[in-house]
Amino acid sequence: MLNKMFKKELWKFGTREVVFAAIGAALYGLLGFATNMLQIPSAGNVAIRPAIVIPMFFGVAFGPLVGLITGFLGNIIADLLSGYGFWLWWDLGNGIVGLVPGLVAGMMVSYKGVKDIALAEITVVVGSALGMFVASVSEMWVSGLDFAAAMSMNFVPAFVSDIVNGLILLPILMVAYSAVVARSGR
Amino acid sequence: MLVSFGYRPRGSLIEKLDPRARWIFSLLTLFSITSFWDARFLAFFFVLTLGQYALSRLTWKETSRAWLMIFFLMGMMILINTLLTSGGTIAGVITGGRPVFQLDGTIPLVNWPISFSLTLERLWFALCQVLRILSISLLFVLIPFTMDPHAYGSTFKGMGFPDKLAFSMDLAFRFVPTLGRDFSTTLDAQRARGYEVEKAEGGIFTQIRKMAPLIVPVTMNAILSGEDIVNAMDLRCFGLRARTWINNLRYQWYDWLYMGLGVILLAGSVILKVVFNIGGFWMPF
Repeated sequence: MLNKMFKKELWKFGTREVVFAAIGAALYGLLGFATNMLQIPSAGNVAIRPAIVIPMFFGVAFGPLVGLITGFLGNIIADLLSGYGFWLWWDLGNGIVGLVPGLVAGMMVSYKGVKDIALAEITVVVGSALGMFVASVSEMWVSGLDFAAAMSMNFVPAFVSDIVNGLILLPILMVAYSAVVARSGR
Repeated sequence: MLVSFGYRPRGSLIEKLDPRARWIFSLLTLFSITSFWDARFLAFFFVLTLGQYALSRLTWKETSRAWLMIFFLMGMMILINTLLTSGGTIAGVITGGRPVFQLDGTIPLVNWPISFSLTLERLWFALCQVLRILSISLLFVLIPFTMDPHAYGSTFKGMGFPDKLAFSMDLAFRFVPTLGRDFSTTLDAQRARGYEVEKAEGGIFTQIRKMAPLIVPVTMNAILSGEDIVNAMDLRCFGLRARTWINNLRYQWYDWLYMGLGVILLAGSVILKVVFNIGGFWMPF
């Protein structure tokens, strides 16, 4: 098992990674845009952005580079489709949200075991915290926010929304993916 | 679902520029703008970016969604950051000031003291924030509407990104319409089975969990078709040699001029800031 774990090349970017990074980015962009259009009812000020699970899942399944590109490029595509312009620091933050779960991609064994899911869930929290922190702190540089305002206005809502969506949907996607892995033999 | 990008050819002056030159100019100008808190310099950048925006021939109808979001966020930022927080300093830029409105008191029942002071400096800083945020927004909002998404791959390759990364970007834009169609089919199929995504029932956790019947099939289908694409590309020896691109980008004299302007702006900003220590927060009165 350990041998298999280390044999997986974490930072490899071959044909498989090129294709799945593209699919992940397109999916994240599309689902981010589509779920905005569907006007899903939500509670309080927490916006439901379930698409954030896509970079996390593509990171866990295909590695950190795929997670990074899925988050970074997917956010660009979602903004392009919604006509929101380019906000590079938020694109980077979303990329980190995908990159961090990708760091444990090599440790995944079955994608449906308790250990696999627990490990992935931890990276969801760490990745969301780091990604949204980078994006929020960038607002201090760009918009002149002070630290407290950047944290309360940008970091907390984005972080809470990301982890709630990620923690609920990531295990569901991982279990579904375990069946795909069994079927394709990859 | 009909998925379309905001881009359509408008024959504007800005579209004639090489997309690489536009990215380089935009990034250089972003760094230049963020060097200043002086309203005079920020006003210069505001006029410059507004001029560029005017050349793009964008209409309010096309961009209203983006602008409404920007105005809302900017309003919130300024209200919370600049006007309401009465701490000693704002973003490490200004401290203290001359009050124009003072409010002192206690919250009934809990007896927590409130001390709010709106100073002239805070109001002026809010104006600087508006100029700075609008200048940056004017710079970046027009990009999705005036740059062909299908040229992103070759653009980033031309800017020095690795071949595979640029190809991945190119491929992502090509997948969007196909995945949009798959998403639509899945949504219709689930609705035919009684799935009601818009129904406001249950708490936030239930609402999120309710997205699974939509997200899971679309994602798994995309991964399964992705495996076929990987096989097809491997069979064609993808990645063994450097790629060529259909749309070959070539800089024209005006692209060099445009990028040169960006370099001058950044160099000037750095010199003013570092050598002459000019560009910090400035009060006219």
